[in-house]
Amino acid sequence: MLIDAHVALGPWPFAPLPERTAPQLVAHLKSHGINRALVSHLGAVFLPEPMTANHALFAAVRRTPALLPVPVINPALATWREHLAACLAAAPIRAVKIIPAYHNYSLRLPSLAPFIDAVNAAGLRLIVATRLEDERHRYHALALKGLPVTQVAAFLARFPSTHFLCSGLYKPEIETLAAAHENFSADIAFAEWLNTLAVLTQKIPARRLLLGTNTPLFDTRAQVDKLRLARLPAKTLALIGSANATRLFGL
Amino acid sequence: MRIIDAHTHPVFMHDGATPAAARRLVAHGRAHGIVKMVALGDVLVHGRLPSAAQCRRINDETAQLKRWHPDYFIGFCCLNPTLGARAVEREVERCVTQHGFRGIKLEISNNARDACMGAVMAAARRWNLVVLQHTWSQTNIHQRRFHSDPADTAWLARRHPDVRVIMAHLTGCGYRGVLEAKGLPNLFVDTSGAYPEAEILDFAVQELGAERILYGSDLPIRETSVTVGRVLGARLSAMQRRLILHENAAKLFRL
Repeated sequence: MLIDAHVALGPWPFAPLPERTAPQLVAHLKSHGINRALVSHLGAVFLPEPMTANHALFAAVRRTPALLPVPVINPALATWREHLAACLAAAPIRAVKIIPAYHNYSLRLPSLAPFIDAVNAAGLRLIVATRLEDERHRYHALALKGLPVTQVAAFLARFPSTHFLCSGLYKPEIETLAAAHENFSADIAFAEWLNTLAVLTQKIPARRLLLGTNTPLFDTRAQVDKLRLARLPAKTLALIGSANATRLFGL
Repeated sequence: MRIIDAHTHPVFMHDGATPAAARRLVAHGRAHGIVKMVALGDVLVHGRLPSAAQCRRINDETAQLKRWHPDYFIGFCCLNPTLGARAVEREVERCVTQHGFRGIKLEISNNARDACMGAVMAAARRWNLVVLQHTWSQTNIHQRRFHSDPADTAWLARRHPDVRVIMAHLTGCGYRGVLEAKGLPNLFVDTSGAYPEAEILDFAVQELGAERILYGSDLPIRETSVTVGRVLGARLSAMQRRLILHENAAKLFRL
């Protein structure tokens, strides 16, 4: 039983990736041992406002309970309160996601404070997507970079009483942040080194790491094997594989 | 499942150079089905322009690994081609005759198109060695003065059709890199480098054929379970997987 905290539906314009329907995605994930997944819609990354893609996401996963929709909100838009309310009304959600690098704002954005208050008041978890791809391979006409780790650190310090899921962090970034901040968990989609999890769990408690495959951008089998073949106690693998997600998202 | 890893750095920034570390790495590899590893050396420990003495030290560490585990490690000779023909010839001869190395590893001392590569390719031809050229798309990196783009490595293979060349880092080379490698039977691509981006291996097999692709991990920078998993996760036949994971490397390295 695995829970994947980092999955997407919808098209990615820069690579010939499989664009699966929700049932096809469920079947694909199940073939790799993943029973539930937190899913966002890639359309929300590029469209001028994310709600079109969020509604597409809600419609797509309505009959697939294994896929838990995670709408994307852009708090730099004037209508973020309406968007959050619309998402809460549209589906039973456990989390919302922000993608600052793609939505042209930094984690110093003033409206993040009321936004995080609203997210907390709604009982939701906030996922901060720090990157979606290896910057070296981005489309040549996009000058996008992942969020600087210093900016993430300042953000975590600014909101010490909220626990975030930081998604897309590189292994050294997780280690750097973990040395100074306890109010975040991280998915392991972009964390890699020889014996990744054995090395990483020396720097951050296993209870703060979550399986994330970054399907469909990354190969699901490869990402699951990072966990499945890790030489760690079964209890630790269970934490990263599902128990942490269960606890963090109240599943 | 028997696997040959065509791209590893058992010693990386000085780590891994002890008998205990080498034993651990061999045990790690065997646990994942890796029956042999190509050891490329601690290639950036002295920066991108190592001196002749520093190249010798890097290669001596690789030779030491081979002595500790002669049936496991295949040595490649780390070179800085900008040191000139004499230095290149001397170090290659030393690595082949004294240590039994099977290939040459080129990092980012220079671009693969530079004139200094003539001596490297002549040495490879003389000693029947495989040349593994670090390669990464320069579209976003902008270091082409000394860092080889797939177009540069393809140019090198085209210019020297009698030398077998490995274009390292499939994912770093990207879709454009795969297309650069087309029509060059002496050019192979290894699967090492970067995150397990979906579909690119399938694309490479479709465009180049499984016979031109070698499994490589780039460990310790990468995780073996992930790098093997991406081959197992691709839509390949059992024969294609066998070729990529083992047979192509066994043939290329005369094992």
